[in-house]
Amino acid sequence: MADTPAIQVEGLKKIYNGKILAVDDISFRVPRGETFGFLGPNGAGKTTTVSMLTAGLRPTHGHAVIDGLDVSRDPDEVKRRIGIIFQESTADGDLTGRENLEVAAGCFGISMSEARIRSRRLLEQMQLTDAADRPAKTYSGGMRRRLELAVGLINEPRILFLDEPTLGLDPQGRAGFWGFIKQLRANDGLTVFVTTHYLDEADEMCDRIAIIDHGKIVATGTPTELKDRLGGDVVSLRTPEGSPDVSGILSPLPGVSAVQKQDGTYRVKCQRGETFVPRAVAACTSAGVGVIGVTVKRPSLDEVFLEYTGREFREDEGPTATDRAVMLQRVQGQLRGRR
Amino acid sequence: MLRELAALTRREFIKLARNPQAIFTTLTLPILYLLLFGNGFSFNVAQYVNPALPIPPHQQLIDLLDDYFRGAPDYYSYFAAGMVGFVSVTATLFIGANVIFDKLFGVFRRTRGTPAPSAAVFGSRLIAGATQPILLAFFVMGLALLFAHVSGLHGLTVTGSVGVVGALQIIAAIVLLSLMFATLFLTFGILIDVPQTYFAAVNVINLPVLLTSDALYPWGTMPTWLRNVSSYNPVSLAVNVLREVMFGSGAYPYGPGVYLLGLFAWAAVLIGIAILLVRRALRPLE
Repeated sequence: MADTPAIQVEGLKKIYNGKILAVDDISFRVPRGETFGFLGPNGAGKTTTVSMLTAGLRPTHGHAVIDGLDVSRDPDEVKRRIGIIFQESTADGDLTGRENLEVAAGCFGISMSEARIRSRRLLEQMQLTDAADRPAKTYSGGMRRRLELAVGLINEPRILFLDEPTLGLDPQGRAGFWGFIKQLRANDGLTVFVTTHYLDEADEMCDRIAIIDHGKIVATGTPTELKDRLGGDVVSLRTPEGSPDVSGILSPLPGVSAVQKQDGTYRVKCQRGETFVPRAVAACTSAGVGVIGVTVKRPSLDEVFLEYTGREFREDEGPTATDRAVMLQRVQGQLRGRR
Repeated sequence: MLRELAALTRREFIKLARNPQAIFTTLTLPILYLLLFGNGFSFNVAQYVNPALPIPPHQQLIDLLDDYFRGAPDYYSYFAAGMVGFVSVTATLFIGANVIFDKLFGVFRRTRGTPAPSAAVFGSRLIAGATQPILLAFFVMGLALLFAHVSGLHGLTVTGSVGVVGALQIIAAIVLLSLMFATLFLTFGILIDVPQTYFAAVNVINLPVLLTSDALYPWGTMPTWLRNVSSYNPVSLAVNVLREVMFGSGAYPYGPGVYLLGLFAWAAVLIGIAILLVRRALRPLE
């Protein structure tokens, strides 16, 4: 069992209503104890993938094996072995934190006496003891997230799925949440599969990352590997509006591996950006083009993301694949109603 | 299975106990019906019978009114039994709406993310959802009986000899009726995701069922076609059991057991269909 990966995905595909391709033939492995980040723009297929891996959605093709169990064949046993933190709050606001935990424990078939022990321990661990007997609707955003985490851990899972776990939290709340995850990883050796919109979090917390776009995995690696693949630093040079194109002047300069022009700004991938800048400015000036702004960046996951998806990493870029499927169903329903 | 069922049922009862406004509203409606509607339509048979009349016309009038209210001594008693059936249905209307709100607030998703069997998910809500109308039905019956002893008010007057079997038949009729409609509306809640659609669907069922029953109309005023439709209506079947046990069998072609059997057949069919639909909707993998 120790050699079996925590998560093994092969040729996984999801097509909604026979028309919308949300996840397109993805494959990856997550070894035990690893924190694996799954990044992508809205509508890329992240949540659909998480739903398939957590036995909430049946794949159209392919296999997902979680803790050695095929999700399609043994969904209930998979659910017993995993913990899920959903994107939205799922705690029952009318119930206290303690009651939420006890009900969740009951759903896993855990006895009431054991549920009480585990609830007390998790409430302490998540620093919620003082608020344990207050209705969850009175909790702050950070407290609710911690309660969600406690609920996700009530069955003592081996693998934890976090779907945008810190969405909407302030920086303090985010830091606190990830502090608990670090602690859990160190103490219990949990495998963590996380989707997040915050690339700094992914960079800091994840051992490896996969980037998904239009349902396909476009890059996989450690954060360092992915950044190194960009070919060094990224220098952004801004020229005045209406200036002639200087891509042809910048490309032949020593150490340059690529030049991209976007809205009057040249993104130049090069080695040792700080020594490249004077040469680039001199070359542009010689060509009669002034440089009105320069930035040098060590590559971050933002650049990695931009490189592989061609898009800035933003929220609210449009409907997700699930949204699109729901919209399609509604339109079909309306059309049926008119017939 | 039992632990999952117990945990989820506990949740339902905690939520119910933490919502006193809902309990107050649920109790207010039948109280208003009993106090206002029932008393407003009530009239005493005796006041229309002139004791000075010779025996045959007097007896004819008594017989006519006996048929008019199917053996009940007055409209209020007839209506009170009907109200028990009425609340057994109306108190189940919101059971499915709670599921839809749980879906909207993510609570249902959390439950579905656990291995809790669909029977426990459905059963817990059915237990909590059917308990309310059953208790409310007995509350209505108790209140109507109490009103009979309050000066100036009409109340439920039991003229038959109820006995243990009769009491059990009344309990069975109320439980079957509540369970049947709770199952139906709970199934709607599981299948439907939009509150407006749910309430539209519930009204499509609720109003025709209540308005084609003899729960509130005097039997004597109903046209023949409506009486015929009403004979197969589950609310009428349950109310027939109550009225026959409480007021005697004279006005009924069959004994209460036959109506109970009819009610049981309705419940079996509806619950059977619900099980098929819910099992499909709550499969471990969607």
